[in-house]
Amino acid sequence: MSKSVKIALAGNPNSGKTTLFNAITGSEQYVGNWPGVTVEKKDGILAGHKDVIIQDLPGIYSLSPYSIEEKVSRRFLVEEGPDAILNIVDGTNIERNLYLSTQLAELGLPMVMAVNMMDVVKKNGDKIDFEKIARTLRCEVVGISALRNEGGMEAAEKLVEMAKKAVVEKGPDKLPDVPHVFSGSVEHAIAHIEESIQDKVPLRSIRWYAIKVFERDREIIKKLDIGVGEMKHIEEHIRDCEKELGDDAESIITSQRYEFIKRLMDNSLTLNENRKGKLTLSDKIDKFVTHRILALPIFILSLCVMWFLAVAENGPGTVLTDWANDEFLADGWHLPFTAHACREEGKYKGMAFEDAQGVFAKKDASKSAWEKAYLEKVNEGKAGDAQVEEMPEEIDEQIAATIVAKDVFVEDEETGEPVAKEDNEDEPDLWDVDYAAYKEAAEWEEPDPSNFGVWVPGVGALITSALEKAGVNDTVKSLVVDGAWGGVATVLGFIPVIFVVFFFLAFLEDCGYMARVAFIMDRLLRRFGLSGKSFIPMLVGKGCGVPAVMAARAIENERARRMTVILATFVPCGAKTVIIAMFAALFFREQWYVAAMMDVVGIAIIILGGIALKKTRFFAGEASSFVLELPAYHMPTISGVWHHTWNRLKGYILKAGLVIFPACVFLWFIMHFDWSMNLLADEEIEKSILHDLGSWIAWLFEPLGFGSWQGAAASVSAEIAKEQATATLKLVTVGMDGVSSGAHIQNFFAAISDFPKLAALSFMMFNLFVPPCMVAIAVTFREMGSQKWGWFAVAFQLFVGYVLALSVYRLGVLFAGGGFGIWTAVAILVDLWCIWMIVRKGYGK
Amino acid sequence: MKLAEMKEGDRARIVRVTGEEPVKRHLGALGFIAGTIVRVVGESYGNMILAVHESRIAVNDATAQNVEVANV
Repeated sequence: MSKSVKIALAGNPNSGKTTLFNAITGSEQYVGNWPGVTVEKKDGILAGHKDVIIQDLPGIYSLSPYSIEEKVSRRFLVEEGPDAILNIVDGTNIERNLYLSTQLAELGLPMVMAVNMMDVVKKNGDKIDFEKIARTLRCEVVGISALRNEGGMEAAEKLVEMAKKAVVEKGPDKLPDVPHVFSGSVEHAIAHIEESIQDKVPLRSIRWYAIKVFERDREIIKKLDIGVGEMKHIEEHIRDCEKELGDDAESIITSQRYEFIKRLMDNSLTLNENRKGKLTLSDKIDKFVTHRILALPIFILSLCVMWFLAVAENGPGTVLTDWANDEFLADGWHLPFTAHACREEGKYKGMAFEDAQGVFAKKDASKSAWEKAYLEKVNEGKAGDAQVEEMPEEIDEQIAATIVAKDVFVEDEETGEPVAKEDNEDEPDLWDVDYAAYKEAAEWEEPDPSNFGVWVPGVGALITSALEKAGVNDTVKSLVVDGAWGGVATVLGFIPVIFVVFFFLAFLEDCGYMARVAFIMDRLLRRFGLSGKSFIPMLVGKGCGVPAVMAARAIENERARRMTVILATFVPCGAKTVIIAMFAALFFREQWYVAAMMDVVGIAIIILGGIALKKTRFFAGEASSFVLELPAYHMPTISGVWHHTWNRLKGYILKAGLVIFPACVFLWFIMHFDWSMNLLADEEIEKSILHDLGSWIAWLFEPLGFGSWQGAAASVSAEIAKEQATATLKLVTVGMDGVSSGAHIQNFFAAISDFPKLAALSFMMFNLFVPPCMVAIAVTFREMGSQKWGWFAVAFQLFVGYVLALSVYRLGVLFAGGGFGIWTAVAILVDLWCIWMIVRKGYGK
Repeated sequence: MKLAEMKEGDRARIVRVTGEEPVKRHLGALGFIAGTIVRVVGESYGNMILAVHESRIAVNDATAQNVEVANV
C-alpha cells in the first residue's frame, strides 16, 4: 500500500489560492482551526487521488514571523513537513510574488510553481519565460488560470509525480539543489552557519534554517539551541556582512532577494510597453470608491443594500426568514403562484387564506370565551369534584340565554396584546359574545389550507401529526414539539438572514471592495481602538451576533479583533428586536422613541466601551501603522462566493445545533417538572424547578427593580436565545384569567415595583445589553482563542448590562421622586467610575 | 523627502524605510525596500494608495511618514 502524499498549497493573499484549492479538491474539504490560533485551517483530497491531501496554508507574503498566518504556515512547512509544495503565484504581479517563492524553494522540497491568471497576462500582452524561472529556482513552472479552471489539476498531478519520485530517490537527509540568491560575503556567512547547524536540522532544509539564523530569527535560533561559543562565531560573520553592506542582516536578505528576483525578471519577463504607468480599470474605480468626499456616501450606499437584503421589511432576508419561521418550520405553506381565494362551497368561499385565518381566529376566540363563561356559571356553588370541566353535549338553554362573554379578543403572538381594530390601530378590537353569537361562531371550522392552493405541510406540523399517529402521550409530545423541536427551529429560523448576510459579505470580499472599506473606515474607527475592518461585524450584528463575532476574524490586529468581538454584540440583533417590540407595545406606547433609542444606546456603548478599553493595559498601545494590499477589482465567481458562504454557514449550524438543542430540552424540563419529577400543568408553574432556581438568584436582580423569580427566570432563559425572554415572561406571569398575556406582564411589573415602567425598561435593557445568547458566547470563546479572553468578554458585557439597568432604574426612580437609597448611591458611584475610565489618561501615556 | 509629502500621480524611488521592526519587515516583503519605484495612485486625508511592482498597497499617514523617498 502506498503512503499518502501531503501537499502544501502556499501563496500570497489574493493570488487565487482559494479558487485553485476549491478547483482541485472539489467538495472534499475539511475546515478547522490551526492549533491555538483562530486562523482557518483547510485541507482537502485532490480530486481523483484518494491518497493525496492538499493542505491550504493561509495567504502570506513571506516566511518571516510577522503575522499569525506566517507563523502558522512556516511551522507547518518546517515542522510537520509536507511532501511537496504547490506554490501559486499571481502572474500579473510576479515580481512581488516570487519573494515568497524564493523562500519556499529554500526549504528543499519538491515544488511546482503554478503561475495564475495567465489569461490576464496574455490579454495584457506580457510574456513570461517559464523555462528560465524553472531553471533558476530549481522547480517546475506551469501556467494556469484558476478562475477558468485551467491547468490547476495538471500542476497538482505533476507535483504528485515529483513527490512520489523524490521519496524513492532521496530522503530528507539529502542535500537539495536550491538557488543561491545572495552576494558573495552573505553566501560565505551562510555557508559557515550551515556547517555549524548541520547536525540539528533535516539536511534538505538546511539552507532555509541557515538564512533564518543569519536574519537573527529568534524563534529558529532558540529552537536549534546553538551553543554560546558557536553563536558568537556566527554572530561575527553576520556583523562582518552588516559592516560591509552598511545595513542590518534582515534588510540585507530582503534587498538581495529582491535584487535576485529583479535580475531573473530582466531575463524572463517582457512587459507590454504600452501599458506602463497607465491607470488600470481598478485604479479608475478607486478614484471614486476611495475619493475623499465620495468614499463615505458610496460605503453607506453599500450598507443600505446589505441592510435591505438582510433585515429590511420585505427584503429577501426578511421574506426568507418569515417563510422559514412561520411556514416551512411551522404549519406549512402554499406553493408560490398556486395560492388563490377559496373556491370550495362554504363559509370561506371567495376569501384569501390569511383573511380566512383571521376570521376563524375571532370565531374561535368567541367560542372558547363563551364556553368558559358558561362553565363558570354552571359550576357556581358546586363542590370541587362535582365541577364540569368540559362542555356538555346538551347545553342548558335557560342558562345559556343569560351568558354573555365580555371583551373577547384575539391575542397578537408577538406583543401579547389584543389585536387592534382594523380601522383604528390604537384601539384594541374587543367584542361581546352572547348565546346566539356563540352558536354562530361554533359553526365555523378551521379553514382547510388545501382549499386555498397547493399546500405543503411544514416540518413542525409533520412532526406533530407523526407523533399523534404514533399515539404518544401528551408529555412526550410536548417535550418533542415545544422542547426539542422548538430549540432546533430557533436555530434553523435564523439561517436565511445569516445566509443572505454571509453571501453579500462574501461577494464584497471576493470582488475586492472589503479591502477598500477597511482603508476608508480605518481613520475613524482607530480612535476607538478598533480597526477599519471592525465595521463589518457590527453591521452583521444588527442581524445576528453569531456571524458578527465570526466576521471579526478578518481583522489582523489582535487587539482590534478582540475588542471587536467584545463590542459587536451590543448592536441589538434580530432576536433582541423581538424583546424591544414587545416592551415598546406594552409600556412605551407614548414614548415612541424608546425602541429607536436602543440602537443608539448600542452604538454609544461600542464607542464609549472602545475608548475605555483602549485606555486599559490590555488594549493600550498605538497600532499606528496601517498597511493593506488592495486586490484588483474583479467579478467573483458564483462557486467561489458559494464556497465562502457555505464554509461559514456550516460552522454556525453545527455550533448552534450542538448548544441550543440540549439547552431547550433542559429548559422545557425544568419548566414542566417539580423536584419530585411530577409533570406539571401550565398553571402550576409556581411548583416547577424553574421557579425555585429563579427564586434562588432573584436577589441579584433586586437592585435592578425586577428581583422576583419571574424576572430572574426570564433573564436567564434569554441566554438560550434572546427572544426567549418574552416567551418565558408570558409563561411565568400567569395570574388573573380573561386578560391577555400582555396584561399579565403589565400587572407583573406593577406588582413588583412602584415604578413599573422603569422596572420594565430596566428589564429590557438588561436583556439587551448583557452577554448575548449562549451560541454567540460560545463563538466568542472560540474566536478569542483562549478561555481567559472569553471570560473577559463575558464579564465586560455582564458589567455593562448590569450597570446600565441599575442606573436606569435607580436614577430613574430618584428623578421620579421615589427617593434615595443605598442602591442609588451605588449606581452613582459606579457611573462616576465608568466616566473616569472613559476620560482618564490612557495606559502608558 | 517623506513619502507622505508626495502628491497623487507622483513617482519616486524609495531611499530608506524606518519605524517599528515588524512593520518594516512587512513593508519589505511587500517590496518597500531601498531602490523600489513607487507611484501614488490615490490620496485621501494623508492616507495613500501606492503602486509598488504591480500591486496596490494602501498605507496610512503614519506609515507614509516612515518611508523616505527621492525624486526619479
